[in-house]
Amino acid sequence: MKETGVWVLAWRRFKRDRLGVASLVVVVVYAAVMLAAAGGLIVRDWGDEAGVSFAPPTFLGPEAESPQLAQMADGAQPIADYGIPDPLAPDLAAIAKTLAGSASGNEARALTLPLGGDKWGRDVLKKAVKGTQTSLFIGLAAAALAAFIGTLFGALAGYRGGKVDDLFNWLYSVFTSIPYLLLVLSIAAVVNSKGVVPVILILGLTGWTGIFRLIRAEYMKHKVREYVMAADAIGASNARRMFVHILPNVSHVVLVQLSLHVVLFIKSEVILTFLGFGVGVDTVSWGSMLAEAGSELLLGKWWQLTTATVFMALLVTAFSLLTDAMRDALDPRLK
Amino acid sequence: MNLLEIRDLSIRFRLDEATTVDAVKGISFDVPVRSSVALVGESGSGKSVTALSVMGLLPKENSSVGSASRILYRDKDLLKARPGELQKLRGAEISMIFQEPMSSLNPVFSVGFQIGEVLRKHLGLTGRAVRDRTIELLQEVGITEPERRLDVYPFQLSGGQQQRVMIAMAIACEPKLLIADEPTTALDVTVQRQIMDLIAGLQERHEMAMLFITHDLALVSEIADHVVVMRDGEVREQAPASQLFRDPRDAYTKALLACRPPRDRRPKRLPVIDDFMGDAPRGDTGERRRGLSGSEPTLLEAKGLAKSFYFREGWLKQRELKAVKSASFKIAKGKTLGVVGESGSGKTTVALLVARLHQATGGEVRFEGRDLLKVEPKAAMPYKRRIQIVFQNPYASLNPRFTVGQILAEPMLIHGIGADDAERHSLAAELLKKVGLPPLSLEKYPHEFSGGQRQRIAIARALTLKPELLICDESVSALDVSVQAQLLNLLQDLQDEYAMSYLFISHDLAVVRYMADEVMVMKDGEVVEIAGPDELYANPQHPYTRLLLSSIPGRAKGGAHA
Amino acid sequence: MLAYTLRRLWQFVPTLAGVVLLVFFLFNWVGGDPAYLLAGKISNPATIENIRKQLGVDQPYWVQLWIFVKQILTGDFGASWNTNESVAHIFRTRLGPSLTVLVPLLVISTLLAMAAAMLVAYVRGSLTDRAVMVACTVAQSISILVYILVFQYVLAYLLGWFPVQGWGVTFMDNLFRYAMLAIIVGVAVSLAPDIRLYRTFFLDEINQDYVRTARAKGLSEGRVMWVHVLRNAAIPIVTNILLQLPGLLAGAFLIERFFGIPGIGREVILAVERSDFPIIKAVTVYVAVATMVVNLATDLLYKAIDPRVQLK
Repeated sequence: MKETGVWVLAWRRFKRDRLGVASLVVVVVYAAVMLAAAGGLIVRDWGDEAGVSFAPPTFLGPEAESPQLAQMADGAQPIADYGIPDPLAPDLAAIAKTLAGSASGNEARALTLPLGGDKWGRDVLKKAVKGTQTSLFIGLAAAALAAFIGTLFGALAGYRGGKVDDLFNWLYSVFTSIPYLLLVLSIAAVVNSKGVVPVILILGLTGWTGIFRLIRAEYMKHKVREYVMAADAIGASNARRMFVHILPNVSHVVLVQLSLHVVLFIKSEVILTFLGFGVGVDTVSWGSMLAEAGSELLLGKWWQLTTATVFMALLVTAFSLLTDAMRDALDPRLK
Repeated sequence: MNLLEIRDLSIRFRLDEATTVDAVKGISFDVPVRSSVALVGESGSGKSVTALSVMGLLPKENSSVGSASRILYRDKDLLKARPGELQKLRGAEISMIFQEPMSSLNPVFSVGFQIGEVLRKHLGLTGRAVRDRTIELLQEVGITEPERRLDVYPFQLSGGQQQRVMIAMAIACEPKLLIADEPTTALDVTVQRQIMDLIAGLQERHEMAMLFITHDLALVSEIADHVVVMRDGEVREQAPASQLFRDPRDAYTKALLACRPPRDRRPKRLPVIDDFMGDAPRGDTGERRRGLSGSEPTLLEAKGLAKSFYFREGWLKQRELKAVKSASFKIAKGKTLGVVGESGSGKTTVALLVARLHQATGGEVRFEGRDLLKVEPKAAMPYKRRIQIVFQNPYASLNPRFTVGQILAEPMLIHGIGADDAERHSLAAELLKKVGLPPLSLEKYPHEFSGGQRQRIAIARALTLKPELLICDESVSALDVSVQAQLLNLLQDLQDEYAMSYLFISHDLAVVRYMADEVMVMKDGEVVEIAGPDELYANPQHPYTRLLLSSIPGRAKGGAHA
Repeated sequence: MLAYTLRRLWQFVPTLAGVVLLVFFLFNWVGGDPAYLLAGKISNPATIENIRKQLGVDQPYWVQLWIFVKQILTGDFGASWNTNESVAHIFRTRLGPSLTVLVPLLVISTLLAMAAAMLVAYVRGSLTDRAVMVACTVAQSISILVYILVFQYVLAYLLGWFPVQGWGVTFMDNLFRYAMLAIIVGVAVSLAPDIRLYRTFFLDEINQDYVRTARAKGLSEGRVMWVHVLRNAAIPIVTNILLQLPGLLAGAFLIERFFGIPGIGREVILAVERSDFPIIKAVTVYVAVATMVVNLATDLLYKAIDPRVQLK
């Protein structure tokens, strides 16, 4: 039997969008990299000090006076923190010490690395790949959490209306009265623990409001549609109308929002981590790479910044283009 | 002398990279000076697209006009005109009014500003002169207190007034040609009558030529000198109006004329397009008897049915909107109660109350002696099954994510009809056959069907529960007339077979007269008159009923004034 | 109008109560005993009891909540735990620098984005449109951190066109010397998302029936776009800008921090880094109130720019 459901039709439209398909391929490759890194198939040795400190990218060739620069980098403070000591400095120093201790001499250290090395001589390419695992996972998991909460609340509020709607709207207005990043930072400040799971919870539990509003509007629109009234007429229960009848008809909105929020949360993670509220120092993410890259840039070491930026920009661009393509494919009237 | 000559016009639309549609396929016709030409056709015939192409308003990004096409206005090819030249013509010599007056007016500019814009642009009027002329125009299109209406925004006007403003804008520069694209389709029948009279009067007074686009042959008979019938992008027939109505040549034109319920007779079966186009045998042409003898048992009786909607307003205030003030009626077993009324009359609310899709705020609905409105929701399930409803919009009433099979199986599943999936499947297939669809349709999704087919599916869904009362809320109104006739025939056959009662709601008086054994007229939430169809149409008691009946198109001039 | 405003102000109460509860829940409950946080920094464990008394955290929760509510009602959030500067004073002195950056930034980026969005919406589907959209998507995908780092490094550090960071004393000096680079970065960051968003607003309008009517009247394309379409698209654009405002005030912290602009955003980030709860609490409540006020102002303005809106 030839299947011609709405999703199949959308997929057919999507397949004609070359930019969309290319984006999908990029996203799938990233996801594969994420899974491979998480499963330990690749870049298990990202923390090894494979090269000399700030080993330049291979295509630039080795640098003459690298040890001195490393010295300078050790001493260099991130640009003016207004006289407040970097709260991470002791942790970093401790980690640097253990890492230095574990490294067995300098004889094996390469002078160049494929895309250069960081202060401790870790391979920037491997860090970026490992960072993909962290950042993409945080984006996906937080977006899934936010989409779940937003959809559930939105469905209840939009479908039930009345007091239930008032309650959820109150919750919504409380959460949106506080600007998003301020809310995230306040929660980060009190939670005061670092790691992948806290970041996912912080982003997911604060980021549901936009989805809630859209889904609520969709439910309000759909619940008076004739197909839902027809379901009422044949005796379908409220729960059945909400989740069996309406949900599939708004699922494309959820999907598009989900992928928009993946992008949003990947960017948020970068900022959180940069500010020291994100993943811990023992984890590498694009945020932690960019955090290191700020001071490196002043020393002329641009490769970690560039690598992390390109890794992130490629995924986020692909994700955004994919979202656009999905929206066009799922809702052709918009075009 | 011809004002407008269309030659070999073909228009193609690009839907996406892979698909194109030929909306208009090489048509030719003329609009002579000072005469009115009607372009008639059902949806998808290409009539509106043709009108837009004359104005040069086709969407540039996805449409193209064939290279051999010419649109000659006073011997000048508009298709080759520069944008600047077209702008000088548009609104000045050729102007247009549209179907949806509400969305066709800019919502954030006042009425005076929007009319004044035309005067400034084409006549170079300024200041006081613009104001004076605008007031004059508003007066001419029958808007009362025009000085006060200048600063009013479109949303503050009724649909009829909005269309009058559109007309004022169109005639502001005394155009030679007025194009009217379904100008009354979105309006109530009494308002339609007023607007038609206005347009006809203006055309005569200003000696305009008119291209009138419509799906409604009855309207055409009132206004047109010359008729062009279109179907699927082709011209089927063109002739002077008097000749076309008296002696149609083309099979499609004949079918179109025949498939509307006639005013004077009640054939057992309405002729459909296939009767004329193919070799299928003509339908049974015997007459059907309507009306109640008075001895039929009552299936359902509503007494003082009322529904109010409440809107929050101000601090703790509530605004009450009485959608239905008080409605009392009886529906006889196996018979049809027709309900007519204009928008806002409360006829749809009555349907939803009877089907228990809305909670009534007053009155009672007696069904087998029990007041349905007092039955607890849980206990109401068996009653729910026996009263089913078919809605107006065929595109919204089927869940787009369900297959037809799922749509038909769901009610049986909920009410425990059929032992297993296999049995329900075969029951569904049987019902599909009954409504005239192949069993293969079970695996398909609603979007693969036309509007008429979707209504058949909706009817089949209602039939799965073997209802005793089927409510048809404008169920055929959104369909083309040829499809309407098929659906009416189907409903009739089903009633004959299952002896169902119908609550048949429509704004279309001709259809209600054809279908109903008793007719109820509603206005502003109240029942103003209930009577047998022939009696009501022949001898209306209430003034509103008389107004409604006199507004039916095709009665006033009765065809030829050419 | 007055009745509407009063009623809306009354509606602030439950929302504000919610914000207060949320903030209280976060800081007094999830956040743990602030005395330990403070004591840790002051490095004098003996004073813990003293601090607890001062902060009132030795009291039951409902008393603490009442203290917080009193703080909000009187507008006296106490002093920073770190600098002992009063919270009110911090706000008074930090607002000016924030606005010096934000107002020009908002005006420039809005005007540029609106013009660009209208242009690409007009040629929708064309190569230009697609190219601009892809460029915007790419530009949007780069973290704001990278913009700041690179602009600062290249324009200030390498080329020396602007001071790397700092803040002067006179307004003109601040605006044209110190705030300039921050404004440029801000515009660069917000341009891409704004163009994309505004484009959808214009597209929504361009396909409306009234645009067809305007053309049918013989109006020029310029007038159709600049008068009929723009006037309608301006409604969501203005709303969008207004609703962004309160968030921007606190959200510009990255820019303020990197360019050494002593604004509210920088103050927030410092407070968060130092767990300076009084400041965070005050900012959160203030910004929440500001958000509600701006929402109300937006609705009132809406009435002015959209005749269809009726305030209920």
